[in-house]
Parts: sequence; structure tokens; C-alpha cells
Amino acid sequence: MSRISRKLQKWTQEMLDLPQDLLFDLPRLTLIGNKELHIENHRGVRHFSADKLILSLTQGTMEITGSGLSIRAIQSSEVTVEGTINNIQYIGTGERP
Amino acid sequence: MNIPTMIFLRGYLKLTVRGEHVEAFINALAEAGTPVWDVRPTGTHSAEFKLLLNDFKGLRPLLKRTGCRSRILERHGLPFRALRLLKRKVFVVGVVMFFAILMALSSMVWNVSVEGNETIASEDILEVAKQEGVYPYQWIFRLKSLDKLSTNLTTRLPGTSWVGVERNGTSIRIQVVEASVPKKPELLSPRHLVSTSDAVITYIYAEKGVPKVQINSRVKKGDILISGILGDTENAKSVVAKGEVKGLVWHEYEIEVPLVKKRKIYTGEASKKSYLVLGNRAVQLWGYGDVPFEKHETLTIYDPLTWRSRALPIGWMTEKVMEVSESSQTVTEEEAKKEGLEGAYRDILAKYGSETRLVSQKILHDKKENGKVYMKVLFEVEETIAKELPIVYNQGE
Repeated sequence: MSRISRKLQKWTQEMLDLPQDLLFDLPRLTLIGNKELHIENHRGVRHFSADKLILSLTQGTMEITGSGLSIRAIQSSEVTVEGTINNIQYIGTGERP
Repeated sequence: MNIPTMIFLRGYLKLTVRGEHVEAFINALAEAGTPVWDVRPTGTHSAEFKLLLNDFKGLRPLLKRTGCRSRILERHGLPFRALRLLKRKVFVVGVVMFFAILMALSSMVWNVSVEGNETIASEDILEVAKQEGVYPYQWIFRLKSLDKLSTNLTTRLPGTSWVGVERNGTSIRIQVVEASVPKKPELLSPRHLVSTSDAVITYIYAEKGVPKVQINSRVKKGDILISGILGDTENAKSVVAKGEVKGLVWHEYEIEVPLVKKRKIYTGEASKKSYLVLGNRAVQLWGYGDVPFEKHETLTIYDPLTWRSRALPIGWMTEKVMEVSESSQTVTEEEAKKEGLEGAYRDILAKYGSETRLVSQKILHDKKENGKVYMKVLFEVEETIAKELPIVYNQGE
């Protein structure tokens, strides 16, 4: 993505007040207590075990730690995680848009 | 949330996958759009999940590509249950038998009923219907067409003008319309016609039988007018005598007519009294006070409470006190006489039939006494005097 188009996108977003996840493919998380997590706009599962789930994003990865994790349902860009969620962490998304 | 609908009906499997790249396999599943749910890691290189039976076939290329192996842990849903049931031979035979018996029983005639017959016995109609193939426990598909049955039954059953056959499920209804047969003449025993009273014959007409009297002849009560025995004493035959005989008859009447007539007239004024009846006691509730009328009549209406046509001992009674005024009317002696004669004539007409004709009337004696007119009148009337008398054989030896 070229620098000019990125600036244009940011400008449109600011002018039209659009949600960021639509324009920049950012993940949208819906967390219900610490029991259920719904993630949109992911890019696949990197690692999956009972206490750790690593999802790849457009930029970097997201690490979810907890206990008794399981995937309730998975589609190409959406995933619903069940279990006890302790920690949600972004890794490698250092670049500022 | 994202679990497919009707998973029980479509059938689903619980699988376990083992391999180096289980995550890659899950990604591949998500890419392919195969709905999976309840994905649970069981170890570092294995996971178990559920998916629909239909999607199981598409799983092999994905497994090959990602180098994983799968094993079926559990099978759920209707397709597997049906398969298990089909393995039980007797059960399958039972299901098939059930439907077969149901079909067989519903394609049988169970009930034949006959309607509309009055003189022809139902058994006869059923017998004829049986010969035509309509009887209980007969197969419905072996029946002839209903129109044909109808015409066949009509021709085979004498005394019917139309027979209709109607099938309603497993019951057959035969409707019969009977031909109307002319009425047979009434049977009568041989008889004479005899006189009802002393008379002089004025008219005689014998339709059947031998006339024994002529016009202007005198008869006594009980005399034979038209004989029911034909022929002489050797070749006698008794018949039902029939005919019409009229004669002059005398009736004596004693008449008394009052000269002053009293008449009661309701004036229309009335007062009401209402009672509540308990058992055989009545408690007056309304209408207290003296009756304001000089002369009155009381009309009592009792209306008990009823329960299913049974009267209860509780009820309501109303008394209607109606005012009456009396008027008296004086008639002349002539008018009183005329009225008395008319009354007597009406009495004769009522007693001896409307064909009676008044020939003459004669006032034998009259007097006026105690405000009344007393008369003795002789009426001479022409009336029917014939009466049937059965002929009895071997009466005495």
C-alpha cells in the first residue's frame, strides 16, 4: 500500500467518521466477560492449545491466554473462542498508521 | 452461535486430528468454508472437533495437504440411528408389516348399511347385495363400479324404483327408494244395514245388497234396510251391504229459556297481589290493602321454580283481581222462544249429522213461569238412519 493511498484512506476516515476496522482491516473483538471472545478480521490460527491461542492478523499477531480454551466456531475471517480468557495481547503491530 | 442448524437430523461426527500442523488444518477448514464447532485441543499436536456428516468426504484432501490423520470418535444424529435400526431385521419387518396391514385393512369393506326401506327387509337387500359382491370383508378394489352396482341392484330388487350405492371410506351405504304400490281396499266382513230408529223411509239407494224397504214404508229400530244376503235360501251368498237410507224421524225436546239474561263484563280495571310460595305457605309481598272494586273476580297464576321439568317447592304466585260489572237484559217471550228453538235445532244437527234437514217443528205446549219460558217441541227431521250390522253365522242351532 503506497504512502499516498494510505494518507488518502486516513483522510477519508477522519472526514467521514468511518469505523477503522472497515478501512484498515483491523481486527474487531467482542469480549463477553472472560468467557467468550469473538474476533473478526483474523488471518488464520498460528498456534492452538488449551491455554494459548495465537491468531495472525493483517499486521502482527494476537495472543490469547487462558485455560480450557476451545474454538466454538471458525470461518475464514471470524472465530469464536470459548473458555476462561485471562490475557489478550498484540504482538508485532508496532507500526503506527 | 455459528453451529449449523438441525445437526441432529443431518447427522454429525466427532473427530480427532493428529499431526504436526493442526493449526494449518484448522485454517484450511476455515478457508474451505466447512463449518466445524467445538474445536478443542487435546494435546500439543492433536485436537478434536465436530462437523457435519456431509462435510466428512471433503476432509481427505485437506488432511493430505496438511499431513494430518483423523479418527472418528463419536457418531451422532438420525442417519446413524436409522442405520442402526435398519440392522435389526425383525424391527424392519415389523415396520413394513404395520404399513402393509394398515393398507390391507383400509382397502376392505367393513360395514354395509341399508337405508330408506320400509316394506322390504334389510336382510333381503343385503342378500342381493352379497350376490353382487357387496359384503363385509370384501376387497374394495374387487367391487364393481358404484353406478353399475346401483343399476344391478335396482333390477334385482323387485318393489324398488331406485337403489343408490355410496362408498364412504370402508363403509358402504345402500339407499333404497321403494316403488309406491296402490293401496289395497279395506277388508270388511259381510254385513246388513239396519235402521237406527223408528222412521218413515224417504230415500233409499242400495249400492250393494238387497233393499228390503221402499220409500214411505214405516220401519222400526233395528229393522233390516239393505240385506247383505244375496240369493234365495238354497244358494245364499253374503256380501258387504252398502248404500244410503234416509228417513223421517221425530225428536221431542223440552226447552226452557230465561227471560232475564245476566251478563258479566270485565271493566279492564285490575289490581295485582304477589306472593312468595314456600312449600304450602304463601307470603304476600305486594298488593296489600282492600280491594277497591265492588264486584271482582280473581285469577290466580302459580309459577313454581323448576329444575329439569321437576317443580321445586319454591315459587311465585300472582293474583289478578279484576273488576266486574254485571248487566242484565230482559228479552221478550217471542225472542226467548225463537232462541230456544234454534238451540234445539243446533243440538239435532250436532247429534245426527250435518245432512239432517228440518222438515217441520211443532210447539206442543208452552208456559211462562218464574221468569222462564218452558216449551215442549216436536221436530220432524230427515236424517240418515242406516247402521252396519255384521252377519253372524251358525248362531244357535
